[in-house]
Amino acid sequence: MADHPGPAMIVEGLKEAGVDLVATLPDINLHALLERVAADPDIIHVPLCREEEGIGICTGGYLVGKTCALIMQNGGLFNSVNGIVSTLLQYNLPLLLLVYFAGDVGDRSFSTNGAMTQPVLNALGIRHFVLRDPDEARTLIKRTQVLTQDYKRPVAVLLTKDVLGRRRPGE
Amino acid sequence: MKRIECFKVMADLAGDALVVTGAGGNTVEWYACRPGDGNFRVRTMGLVSSIALGIALGLPHRQVVAIDGDGSLLMNLCSLPTIARKNPPNLTHVVLDNEVYEASGEIDTATGGGTDLVGMARAAGIRRASWAGSPDELRTVFSQALEGGDAAFIGLKVETSRSEVPPYPMDEVENKYRFIRHVEKTESMNILSMPMPVSFLKD
Repeated sequence: MADHPGPAMIVEGLKEAGVDLVATLPDINLHALLERVAADPDIIHVPLCREEEGIGICTGGYLVGKTCALIMQNGGLFNSVNGIVSTLLQYNLPLLLLVYFAGDVGDRSFSTNGAMTQPVLNALGIRHFVLRDPDEARTLIKRTQVLTQDYKRPVAVLLTKDVLGRRRPGE
Repeated sequence: MKRIECFKVMADLAGDALVVTGAGGNTVEWYACRPGDGNFRVRTMGLVSSIALGIALGLPHRQVVAIDGDGSLLMNLCSLPTIARKNPPNLTHVVLDNEVYEASGEIDTATGGGTDLVGMARAAGIRRASWAGSPDELRTVFSQALEGGDAAFIGLKVETSRSEVPPYPMDEVENKYRFIRHVEKTESMNILSMPMPVSFLKD
């Protein structure tokens, strides 16, 4: 699925939004996107061992003028909740969270993660937008980056298999 | 060693390094030794070294010091391989290891049972990792660390005593703004500008 347009559109959106530091943790459905992030010479790429450290790294980047994003699975969002609450929310910090929406409708894995993703974001007061159409990726990512900078809170884009590229046709 | 003895040595050498500190006694004792807006206090246990790493990667020409505790680092050990992987030469990660969760009632951490944090840092791939056993040794390894080359990790075994110092003088949001304004001023850069009102824009 290297030819699926979504990952390239997402990276274009990140660059047009001024994002220049991206922390990531892999999921097979993020593979094509992370390859593009890692290969981009304009982006400082920080591969993580656990997602919550990405909250810290992006905070540090923001404090010195970087525009940051964190790419992870929704399980990683759950791993990051203490950092989100006691750093991002406590200090009023913006951060664009690009979260693979595992367990979304049409996604046969991690259905419990899928069920809990939006309720957890709602509980944290994190505005979130589901991205399904690759053609909307650039605009949505630019707009959510402006929103998080303005809101001084994290904002999440939920990346579905439709935008990341399905590995099996008809799945 | 007493924590504040270590901080006096570090404050003497730190210059304009940006310094990130964790919860508990580290922050207030460090701030008493080197007050100013180039200090950022972290509230999420474990994230001291991660926030310092982000600062170091974002400003590669500026020295950055993380002042961590054993309990805090044990909560975020995955920071060590991540630092090793990026190996920012301007990052010095100092861990004051008193072998207890001091701010949480002095219950033992794993380091009191034999866990060697410098050994873990080396095994994670941080080549320049060492213990400093006295203020003089700290002076040597800390000044070497600030010369750059590789990311550095320094372990210090310290007592659990607290020194008489004033409380931290600001809340989290003020600390954020003061730190950012300090970076803007000392780096001649603009981080927090707001867009012009739309009525000022010409088509």
